[in-house]
Amino acid sequence: MIQFKALLIKEFKEAFRDKRALMVAMTMAMLAPVMILVLSKTMIKEMVETPPVYLNITGENFAPKLMNQLRQNNIFSLADAPENLHDLWKERNIELMIPDDFVENMQEGRVITITLRADFSEKALNSPIRRVKNEINLYGQSIGAKRLIVRGIDPRILRPININDQDTSEPNSNAMFISLMLGLYVLMAAFMSGLSVAIDSSAGERERNVLEMLLCQPVSTFKIVLAKLCCASTISIIGVTLTLVLTSFSVSFVDLTKIGATFNLNVYMVLFLILLLLPISFFASALQLFVSFQAKSFKEAQSTVSMIIMLPAMIPVALMFIDDKPAWLDWLPVSGQSLLMDDLFKGLAINWAAFAGTAIVTIGITAILVTVLSLRLKSEKVVLALS
Amino acid sequence: MIEVNNLHKSFLRTKKQQVKALNGLSFTAKDGEITGILGPNGAGKTTCLRTLYGLLKADSGSAVIDGIQVSQSPIEARAKLGIFPDKFGLYERLTAYEQIDYFASIHGLQGAAKHKAIEVIIQELEMEELAHRKTQGFSQGQRMKVTLAQALVHQPQNFVLDEPTRGLDVMSTRVLRNHLAKFRDKGHCILFSSHVMQEVAALCDRVIIVANGKLAAQGTPTELCELAGEALLEDAFVKLIGSDEGVAA
Repeated sequence: MIQFKALLIKEFKEAFRDKRALMVAMTMAMLAPVMILVLSKTMIKEMVETPPVYLNITGENFAPKLMNQLRQNNIFSLADAPENLHDLWKERNIELMIPDDFVENMQEGRVITITLRADFSEKALNSPIRRVKNEINLYGQSIGAKRLIVRGIDPRILRPININDQDTSEPNSNAMFISLMLGLYVLMAAFMSGLSVAIDSSAGERERNVLEMLLCQPVSTFKIVLAKLCCASTISIIGVTLTLVLTSFSVSFVDLTKIGATFNLNVYMVLFLILLLLPISFFASALQLFVSFQAKSFKEAQSTVSMIIMLPAMIPVALMFIDDKPAWLDWLPVSGQSLLMDDLFKGLAINWAAFAGTAIVTIGITAILVTVLSLRLKSEKVVLALS
Repeated sequence: MIEVNNLHKSFLRTKKQQVKALNGLSFTAKDGEITGILGPNGAGKTTCLRTLYGLLKADSGSAVIDGIQVSQSPIEARAKLGIFPDKFGLYERLTAYEQIDYFASIHGLQGAAKHKAIEVIIQELEMEELAHRKTQGFSQGQRMKVTLAQALVHQPQNFVLDEPTRGLDVMSTRVLRNHLAKFRDKGHCILFSSHVMQEVAALCDRVIIVANGKLAAQGTPTELCELAGEALLEDAFVKLIGSDEGVAA
């Protein structure tokens, strides 16, 4: 116990005195909340507001009433655009062509063809086009309804069935995106924050010739590995906590319910997420130590470990594309936690069995990594690689 | 007391080619004596010392420290050992005092006894001024002192040094030499590997010459000179290892 305490204290002293490495590790935590804030702000703006749209309209004079309705809904002719927006909308070039026989066809009761021409694949135009179409349809419907009423027919006759949408998939795609980002970010934070400490205390110590000295001491390699693991994962947990606390603070400035998010980063949620990611922090640090202890140099360790960072980034994204998720995905490290976070952000009840299961599996794999690593540190291969 | 009996150790250089690093090496380093190991590069000195630390396992033969078989209970054996390794690095973000404290704790010292032991070693090595500075930027001599202090803080019965004077100036070498002599006079066993003949001649009570993984000769420096019929230890050394091959290597 004296030995373990000494090993641990020394690791912490070294980790916290390397201020620059620590700063880099924590930058991740600082960036996440800013990203999430900016992202959700812009999304809410896009979703909720109806900014003015400027169209390149030909034949404006043929349909003054239609133009009037469009104007009432913030859709204007390009000629009315203020100078600062003119060029932008000119480039976007949404054309609305009203035929010269509009009035004649309207009076005769024939179908009028209005052409809307634009680059429909341009994402920025989705919302304006949707609004223009919607307004024109509404205008058309109101005319149609009036025609029926004039003929003494109830316009409801045209709608024999009314669909009552009840969407049970709670958050819409935007909220999904933000929660996916947040989930990814905290997973990344778990992997990134402890990274520099893990490499420095293994491959770094080897390169500074202090590892051989330590291995010659009357202390078991298991204790050495465990002390290094505790230190690296503590830094990782600090990173995760910082990310979550700062994000919950920054998210409190925006109303996420406006984009259909059903989650709220309150204290309980943050505590639950920390609890969920606790095993992941240990797992990530163990994996990083495992790889970098066996690397021949600091540089090799760095490049190999940066491959491991791909793990938290790839798995959640890959999971999105699997529709029928096999049950064992619930239990694996990273994927299990990722799926639980998904449920949480969707506002579903927490599956405590999966929570315990994935925690146990993650800790189990961590224990295996630590045991194998401490055995490997006793092997001649590692000793011979020392110099 | 350190006893090495008939150590054999070979490594695979490639898949087929085997290199015999140790080929039946035996010697004894007694308490109250400084025993020097001399040998050309590649003679097996470092392999022998690493076997002694329990880092490598011998193919056959045994290393015994104060009656403890290293291969069977390496941790107990290491507790009897102070080590000054071949390449000594320092934890550059810790102060000298913290490093000595760290190694003292690893050897199971704690509380008042630990502080006493650290104070004693710092005083003996006259490093009061260095003690609370971070070791980053220390000179080679200062680094040697810290390494020496952390190896000796628990007052081990046996002390093994692997080429400790490499890169040291005259003053630092003298500090080291004086300290080793003092430590020997207290009845400890010191095993010392070096390439500097004058140093070995001046310091060692007994010299072991290792060549090709086995013992080539042993005795006091004077005995070795007589045995080879040479006046200088250096000439005796070259003659005793059989050729001057390897000396230049």
